[in-house]
Amino acid sequence: MLSRELAEDVLRAARARGGSFAELFVEERSSVSIRLDDGKIEELTSGLDRGAGVRVGHGTSYGYAFSNRLDRDALLEAAAAAAASVREEGPGDLVALRVLDPPVAHLAERPAGSVPAADKVTWLREVDDAARSFSPFVRQVVATYGDSVQRVLVATSDGRWVEEARPRVRLGVQVVAGRDGNIQTGFHGPAGLAGVEFFDAHPPAKTAEVAAKRAVTMLDAEPAPAGEMAVVLAPGMGGVLFHEACGHPLEADIVDKEASVYGGRVGERVASPLVTGVDDATIPNAWGSFSFDDEGAPAERTVLFEDGALRGMLYDRLRAEKDGVASTGNGRRQSYAHPPIPRMTNSYILNGGADAEDVLSTTKRGVFVTALGGGQTNPATGDFVFGVSEGFRIENGEATTPVRGANLIGRAIEVMSAVDAVAGDFDTWEGVCGKDGQGVPVGSGSPTLRIARITVGGTGA
Amino acid sequence: MPDLGELSAATVEAARDGEAVEAYADESRRTEVTARRGEVEGLTFAESRGVGVRVIAGGRLGYAYAADPSVDEVREAVARARENATLATEDEFNALPPADAAEPIPSLYRPAQAAMGTERKVGVALDLERVAVSADPRVTKLEHAQFGDAVSRVAVASTTGVRAEYGRTDCWAVVVALAEEGDETQTGWSFRVARELDELEWADVASEAVDRSTRLLGASKPTSARVPVVLDTFAGSSFLGVLAGALSAESVQKQRSLFADMLGQPVGSTLLTLVDDGRTLAGPAAAPFDDEGVPTRRTELIANGTLTELLHNTYTARRGGTVSTGNARRGGYRSVPGVGTTNFYVEAGTTPVAEILRRADGGVLIQDVSGVHSGANPISGEFSVGATGLRISGGELGEPLREMTVASTVPEMLKGIAAVGDDLRFFTSVGVPTILIGQMTVAGV
Repeated sequence: MLSRELAEDVLRAARARGGSFAELFVEERSSVSIRLDDGKIEELTSGLDRGAGVRVGHGTSYGYAFSNRLDRDALLEAAAAAAASVREEGPGDLVALRVLDPPVAHLAERPAGSVPAADKVTWLREVDDAARSFSPFVRQVVATYGDSVQRVLVATSDGRWVEEARPRVRLGVQVVAGRDGNIQTGFHGPAGLAGVEFFDAHPPAKTAEVAAKRAVTMLDAEPAPAGEMAVVLAPGMGGVLFHEACGHPLEADIVDKEASVYGGRVGERVASPLVTGVDDATIPNAWGSFSFDDEGAPAERTVLFEDGALRGMLYDRLRAEKDGVASTGNGRRQSYAHPPIPRMTNSYILNGGADAEDVLSTTKRGVFVTALGGGQTNPATGDFVFGVSEGFRIENGEATTPVRGANLIGRAIEVMSAVDAVAGDFDTWEGVCGKDGQGVPVGSGSPTLRIARITVGGTGA
Repeated sequence: MPDLGELSAATVEAARDGEAVEAYADESRRTEVTARRGEVEGLTFAESRGVGVRVIAGGRLGYAYAADPSVDEVREAVARARENATLATEDEFNALPPADAAEPIPSLYRPAQAAMGTERKVGVALDLERVAVSADPRVTKLEHAQFGDAVSRVAVASTTGVRAEYGRTDCWAVVVALAEEGDETQTGWSFRVARELDELEWADVASEAVDRSTRLLGASKPTSARVPVVLDTFAGSSFLGVLAGALSAESVQKQRSLFADMLGQPVGSTLLTLVDDGRTLAGPAAAPFDDEGVPTRRTELIANGTLTELLHNTYTARRGGTVSTGNARRGGYRSVPGVGTTNFYVEAGTTPVAEILRRADGGVLIQDVSGVHSGANPISGEFSVGATGLRISGGELGEPLREMTVASTVPEMLKGIAAVGDDLRFFTSVGVPTILIGQMTVAGV
């Protein structure tokens, strides 16, 4: 994307005033997105993005400048702007650039770019048909297909030269079901770091059925019960909770700001001994994976919780240098237009020994959560709130009436310590995580697990 | 480097017979400075530009965009959009708006802001942090303190004769304060935006964030009860986002709105008047024209409790047999225009906040809600959100409350409005005064 010589000139300009390091991130992204709405192919968009960002680090501070022009003048201007935030201390060193080999590759067997757009349109038609034939109560179907290839180059003043192409595909389906004035929605959106072979394992019609079933099920929902009770989380959903309530407060920038409930607690027990959780960017073709992070550090697997004890956190370069540790390869950015910050990749609660059916059948009263709508956490206190988009009452060990309007409310450490069963039926959930105005693809995952007591906010009795 | 006018002209010239072609071009220069412990934590300087191309042929719509394109690349984008159009479904309502010259709003662009040097911006960010950590001994650090500004231009041109262009400046300050006492930590935030630094009350952002964090110290969970609820302007603005989606004609036409088939009907208390006004300078989202070049205007969406109008762009207006309200919005050159708000606000009422607090005795003031976007169903209007706030007793704000949930439906909440304050305040594009809701269920333990 850029000659070695130009990259070196940019890095040299970025180090003109000193600082601890300089880094150049260049990106080219081509994308296709197609949207089906109301039975119509409403939107087909082809996109071409490109740009470069230059960062100059000094301590945990940085200067960052970017441009979507890749010519020499624009890049040198960006380098000068980024360098301007450093106090003058004389030019810094530049180590000769050396190509790093990826620890893991995520290849597209059948690149999306090689498939005609007409085929992608056909998949969306299949989604529409499958969702509408699922139930007469299905009123609306919105399906979004997207693929992209993000080509990345990272060059740093300490000699790193990293190139990677990240192929991504996603199919998101939202279904609206209605009956007698009652309207409910269901969503499903599997995604991968892969080519269109991803859809062999995740057929579009199947995705449509999952979304349709969620919407139609919720038509029979009654107001959720309120109060403290047991909650069983279906496979994947515990991962969403883990991501929000534990993963974010373990991001090193939050910890460094002393705004984390986990600050200074490595080694302490912060969850039930049944909980082991990792962040893993090396899982082949998983949505949150990569070969190198956006600072050129190799992808890694980081243990966060081991048998309930806090073991690690998620580092980018700035925070790792400050704490005198190695980066865990969690420096990520939405695009060249954003400086990297510590982010999760694929955050998973690993399988435990319980049987999933037993977990439910031994729960006398509570809520069985099969889809979460997303949530919010205050990392400083660990307080969180999650919307339940699909859930059921548990009565005498059985999932019975669907419930609506439910929220899970609690604090990270208390709730994770209240986990009293972890099964062995791991599954994943893909999303786009937002932080500091940047969205990055993340995976989360977990087996069925039970929280013995948690506050459920609802309107029913 | 071609300017926005040249790029949009090149796009329009690439049109073939029988095609409607539109270029939307934008460019911006943005600086953000975050301060921490008396130092610059981060300084970001950003320059970006791009062009998005709509091609409509035979009722079919195709789109393509390119970042910082050359004139040749813009022509290629037209070709890609044309190709995409061939696969799209024909829709008779796809059309570009006719030319309609928008009255310029020159005061959106402030030369002083556009000329502000980086050092001055760094100075404001450092001052912002300093003021915030000096205000109260329980706040010694912040989660976030930022000053930023942006200088931008937008141009729209089309084969239907639209030729519109304008420039603007914006600046903002954000503080998220951390208050500590013993083992307890509480956060409080504040935010303000203005067109130039002289009009930005940044010191208030610092003091407000501090006050909102410290007043939550010692918070406990309330017992569940049905009580009067006061939404302060921060909490109220979170709910307004849900209403914006429901009032979009796009949502209504697709039966995805709780207001479907309700035009002309009462949807809330007669105290409620909800307005979208792209021309009022009181709100930060003012602009002479929308994202497809249609002039902005004032639209009363809910007048004294009755649903009177919806938000329209050109497409939804044609489909609904009406005219665009100038509410085409897009997330920059990368996306086709959808329907969105400009300055979207609840009109100020006449009740002073002190009077509202007196009337809400024994109730709860909600100062922050979380999970509105995940917890509110935009179609049924049901929601259950987490909240923090303060008990109201004897007309005064009392003990702090945390881990509350408030569950209701948007229609019920709108009907339950018992008083509207006289303190309208804008947050980015939404504005709301303090609002008293007669009775709501607040759940705690």
